[in-house]
Amino acid sequence: MQDTIHLENSPLAPKPRRRRARRGGYRKNLMAYGLILPSLVFLMAIVVYPLSVGLLEGFRYHNRLQPWLTAFNGLDNYVQAWGDNQVWLALRTSFVMVVGIVGVSYALGLVSGLLLNHKFRLRGVYRALMLVPWVVPPVVSYISWQWMLNDQSGMVNQVLQQLGLINQPILWLASSKLAMVSLIIVGVWSRFPFMMITILAALSSIPDDVTEAASIDGANRWQIFRHITFPMILPVSVIATLLQAIWTFNDFGLPFVLTGGGPANSTTPLILLSYKEAFQRFNIGYGTALAIISMVLMLALGAVYLRMQRREGVYE
Amino acid sequence: MASSSALRTEPPKATAGTGSTSTAAFRRKRLRRGIGRVGTHVALLAISAFALAPLAWAISSAFKSDTEIMTNLSIIPSQPTLDHFRVVLRESNFGRWFLNSLLVSLGTTVLAILVGSLAGYAMSRWRFRGRGFYGNSLLVIQMFPGVMLAIPMFLLLTKFHLIDTLWALLVTYLTFALAFSVWMLKGYFDGIPREIEEAALIDGTGRLGALRHVIMPLAGPGIVTVAVFSFLLSWNEFFFAYVFLASPGKFTLSLGLYSFIQQFTTQWGNIMAAGVLATLPVLVFFFLLQRSLTRGLVAGATKG
Repeated sequence: MQDTIHLENSPLAPKPRRRRARRGGYRKNLMAYGLILPSLVFLMAIVVYPLSVGLLEGFRYHNRLQPWLTAFNGLDNYVQAWGDNQVWLALRTSFVMVVGIVGVSYALGLVSGLLLNHKFRLRGVYRALMLVPWVVPPVVSYISWQWMLNDQSGMVNQVLQQLGLINQPILWLASSKLAMVSLIIVGVWSRFPFMMITILAALSSIPDDVTEAASIDGANRWQIFRHITFPMILPVSVIATLLQAIWTFNDFGLPFVLTGGGPANSTTPLILLSYKEAFQRFNIGYGTALAIISMVLMLALGAVYLRMQRREGVYE
Repeated sequence: MASSSALRTEPPKATAGTGSTSTAAFRRKRLRRGIGRVGTHVALLAISAFALAPLAWAISSAFKSDTEIMTNLSIIPSQPTLDHFRVVLRESNFGRWFLNSLLVSLGTTVLAILVGSLAGYAMSRWRFRGRGFYGNSLLVIQMFPGVMLAIPMFLLLTKFHLIDTLWALLVTYLTFALAFSVWMLKGYFDGIPREIEEAALIDGTGRLGALRHVIMPLAGPGIVTVAVFSFLLSWNEFFFAYVFLASPGKFTLSLGLYSFIQQFTTQWGNIMAAGVLATLPVLVFFFLLQRSLTRGLVAGATKG
């Protein structure tokens, strides 16, 4: 009985947005609150509570080796971070990583998406093969890349040497400059499948008659892409790029397993630095402050993402 | 097959029907299209090779003997051997790690579907106060740096003696899986007409009954997508496992593999054999469900 009333009132009403100001609304929605309750419990325990504890840690001096010195120190951690060369270097590393990985993986995802956007034999096979990086456990693939890029016995150097392209082995992971290049290559490898599948989804939602009409009007392939296809996949592209930027920035496993952050900290992004401070140097307070800085930066990007998401109606 | 792709890219009758096109121009056009098609396959093959390289090389190395590994650059081992697999299974905790990963991943998957479908149903059928905030919070979770949560969680779990247990991982993975599963399932439930469930409600089945017997069976592809995603997430996760677990008997596969690099340093054959074994389940799982998964992802990304 109650349920049928629900049907006519708020819950199943087809109208998308309704102002609900009356207090009776809570009772009608009691069931909804009950339904989200289990998930809320986990959210509280795993995100909200640790987050609030963490925010406090950021304003403390807290070193596990000297627990007796633990005390609030206001903004000292942040002042220290501002003057810390390592932090600036790590920020720069994060930036290069994000731009390199996201930029190249978008380009590769776009090319693959466009190539796969026709019906032809083997299409499903190609698509499945390209999704493999997304499935293989990252630790496995990073270790495998490490082995392929090994300067002495790695497959990449050996092949290049046999082809006569190089005389000396290339120090893929052992030289500061190339370690970053290797990191970006492996990052692109792991991230382009997501880009490909997202772009493919966006492409497949473009009605055929639009492009057909354009080509009857004499537009060539490039013009169709430039003026029709690309503008139509742009919103999805921006969202996918933002998400990937956030995930890449937060990626701990890639630099940690592939290069360990070295050589000479050249591949230590901010997220890895904050981990090292907290868990290797036991500076819980300072490490947390660095993590908070990362979080604020990502929330800024996240706000843009949510706004885009809302505007494009991808979720709502 | 080929002609259908041609039909899609070029408007057929408009040009052919004019009749004035000379045969030479027509042939040139066909040649160009042929080259284009070959080019497409070359490009796709190159990208696929790049995508497949690390796994292919890992598999190849796993079956090569220690001497062959250093000398034979061919992807096919000249004398395939199972020695490395034997070493891995005998001289390490591999079986234990495999079981740990399986327990955590299955637990996460089942709970993500159960808890996620309840919340997704609420999101889809009610416009309760705080709905927007709740939904956005779920999206924002996916943007949090793991380190930010890991430091305080490490302190808390230590206090509650939950550090170094699989429970710590299960609840963490579940929360991240929920962030995805609630939205995904909500999207699917939105697509199910309300009339279907109204009938069930009038028949006297409660809301939960309608969800279980009417809605869930209709949201099949969405559930598959959520299952694959949750399983992959927990099977592949490394960071929280690395921070929370200390004793080798508790390790999950990702963590165990990482500890392998220390144990076997440059014995690449052993390391790769372990890696292949760890990849096998997800790979099988993925290829079995690949079709419905891509469909689910595509639908989830484009409709609301």
